[in-house]
Amino acid sequence: MVSDQLLKPATPEERRRYYREEWDVKDVPEFISNSVQKREFGFDHMGRGPNHRYKVFRNMDLLRKFLRYRAPFAAYSSVAFYEKPQRRDGWIKSELVFDVDAKDIPIRECGCEGVCEVCLNQALEIISSLIDTLKGDLGLKDIHVVYSGRGYHLRLFDESVMTMDSDVRGQIVQYLSGAELPRNEYAAEGVTYKLEHFTIPFGYPQVFTDRTRYAILHLTPETQLDEVNQKLLKDVIKNRELLEDNQWGIFRSKIGPQRFQKLIRSIASLNMALVDAKVSIDLKRILRLPSSLHSMVSMKCMEVKNIETFDPFKEAVPKFVYERKS
Amino acid sequence: MNKYSICMVNVAFINPFSDEARQIVREYGNLNTIYQENGDLIQLVTRSPSQDISDEETIPHNIMDLALKRIEWYVKKKNNPEFDYRKYSYLYNRNITNFDVIAFYLLVQAISVKFGPNSRESRVMVEAQGKLMESRMGELLLSEKREILGTILNTLLPGEVKWTMFADLLSSRKIKLTDLVLDQGNIILDKDYFMENLGYKLEHRDPGKMYDLLIGDKIKELIINRMIMQKTEDYISEVYQKSQRQVEPNPILLELADNVTEILNQPMATYGYRGGATGKVEASPLNQEAFPPCVKIVLEGMKSGGRNDAIILFLTPFISYARLYPDVFRRNTTLRVSDVDPELAAVEKEILPLIYEAAERCTPPLFEDQPQEKVNINAKMGFGMHSEIELKHEGETTWYTPMSCEKVKLHLPSLCKPDKTCKSIGNPLSYYIRRLTDLKYEEATSEEPG
Ligand code: SF4
Ligand SMILES: [Zn+2]
Repeated sequence: MVSDQLLKPATPEERRRYYREEWDVKDVPEFISNSVQKREFGFDHMGRGPNHRYKVFRNMDLLRKFLRYRAPFAAYSSVAFYEKPQRRDGWIKSELVFDVDAKDIPIRECGCEGVCEVCLNQALEIISSLIDTLKGDLGLKDIHVVYSGRGYHLRLFDESVMTMDSDVRGQIVQYLSGAELPRNEYAAEGVTYKLEHFTIPFGYPQVFTDRTRYAILHLTPETQLDEVNQKLLKDVIKNRELLEDNQWGIFRSKIGPQRFQKLIRSIASLNMALVDAKVSIDLKRILRLPSSLHSMVSMKCMEVKNIETFDPFKEAVPKFVYERKS
Repeated sequence: MNKYSICMVNVAFINPFSDEARQIVREYGNLNTIYQENGDLIQLVTRSPSQDISDEETIPHNIMDLALKRIEWYVKKKNNPEFDYRKYSYLYNRNITNFDVIAFYLLVQAISVKFGPNSRESRVMVEAQGKLMESRMGELLLSEKREILGTILNTLLPGEVKWTMFADLLSSRKIKLTDLVLDQGNIILDKDYFMENLGYKLEHRDPGKMYDLLIGDKIKELIINRMIMQKTEDYISEVYQKSQRQVEPNPILLELADNVTEILNQPMATYGYRGGATGKVEASPLNQEAFPPCVKIVLEGMKSGGRNDAIILFLTPFISYARLYPDVFRRNTTLRVSDVDPELAAVEKEILPLIYEAAERCTPPLFEDQPQEKVNINAKMGFGMHSEIELKHEGETTWYTPMSCEKVKLHLPSLCKPDKTCKSIGNPLSYYIRRLTDLKYEEATSEEPG
């Protein structure tokens, strides 16, 4: 069986075998290879963090040789494109990235210590809902999904967003993750109307409704929420099946409007953690290089071509793991 | 029709790119008449409500004058705190629309031909157009405003209002992404589009009513305003491109262009930063003695965490405003760095060196491991995300105003070591102004004999 051999760190010998026998420079996605000269690369040789920075490669063959011979513990490349990547100078643009780490999902069903099949699966669900919003609401294209070893990266190459600054990227994160409580009062002609988010089936209120429903349906009796006491949590769990077919109105009245408000306020702040905002707003971040080995867990970081069918435990396990003696 | 309105507003009064406006241009006869004394124009101007006619100088006599007045209005309004809008009331008078549109096109042509798209003149033209639209909209009745907004929205092509075009509005928080109704990358503003693409999703609710509630006038106005500014900018580039292929530009246009430059060269000398009598603080070399405790701490170099924020978010705005626009919080106008420092001499010789020195004194020195932070310093001064400060990039980001004491206490608590002057201020920049005045006073009194 593979399972008990999984998620153990790779030995230096295993790393070398991986880069010599299994890895192929063609596994590096085109979105990296077509911009290799513009990016900064970073490496972690000892497993103590990526302190070999400012590395540049004039072409893919040099990158190939480097990885072959050095078989690093971890390899990264910048999301930024620079005129002078060796000095991180002459910033041109940066990919827009979203990082969903399975162990940081705010409400996890598995409750495992690190990552497991359940939370990785949950991460993929979240990724897929983010993609829907990125396409449907924000109209963005050129989106790539990468399995990072412990979660997923979304990497966008849509030219219209690549030059945006951190502030705007921060707002995109808020929009996507449903991290802001939508207003519920709208005025026209001097009269104010109350409109709950779930009565508006498009735009941000809809995104918020989707993310909030997802969170509520995944709550466990152990979940800790500010402002939500044990009694409220119990009532929410008892009534939440109403949300499966969007009976928000009834759900709200069962819970009571005051308590409902408290609940969604807590969930909104929890939603903020769906995506690691620090990664998205950092224009010069380095991200794990797809095709490289995540040595800590002995898994391949790789581009996901089909998120419907992707299973990291089938596709991202390097050969040497199967050959380990148990 | 509303009984109070003198006549219906022509959409060309707000949008010089409308069909109505183009019609006006087509019907206008000989270009030479723009110099001729124009009785109709003078009459309209002098009869505009609350127009000040005491000074002959304020009255445009021909279309050429009117074109220049549009620019002058903007520059004075922006730089002169005692701006008297009654001298320019006619610019808000909808009856001047026909002349106004011609003046607009003359200006754009003159500026494009002479200076091209990346010039100070072009930038002022674009901003003036935006401000003028804003002010004119402000004078309309609500019903008229709605009608105009509706008309303009109707002429937009589907897919034309991409949210990604408004990164600067988002970045400066004038609008929030979550407040926009977005669909396939478009900001939904148009009622028909809303009804067709989203309205059907509404159960038990009147889609028309929902449209009115969800798509507020304010967002529409902001977006349309920005689009007209964008179109003005695009049009300048277009005219410029064409003019490159022509032999001789029209001398009338060249003269107009020179007159625009003349107006732009006046303001700082005549209006801004003059005299202590009115309590204004002029841009002047920095006096480090007057810096507040928090700034002094950063200048000595940050020894622990928070290096980046202290240098970029805190110090850069403080130093640049203290040097160039210390009055920012007392005057209700935004400026760009180059409005005060057109050659960027103070930026290069005084502001950046001070910031770089402070960065150098950090442990570890900031640029040693993060040279890219220079880009962020440039960005906070309004020059976009570029490694060099260049005028052509100015405006891609906004010139950040200095953090308030409250924010400093929240985000960089180790910097705030208040002294007694701190008790009476709310922003390190106000501290600076206060101390400057005190120091001047001390100096003056100590010189007094006896
Ligand atoms: S009170 Fe304000 S000016 Fe004074 S040290 Fe604190 S932050 Fe600086
Ligand atoms: Zn798990």
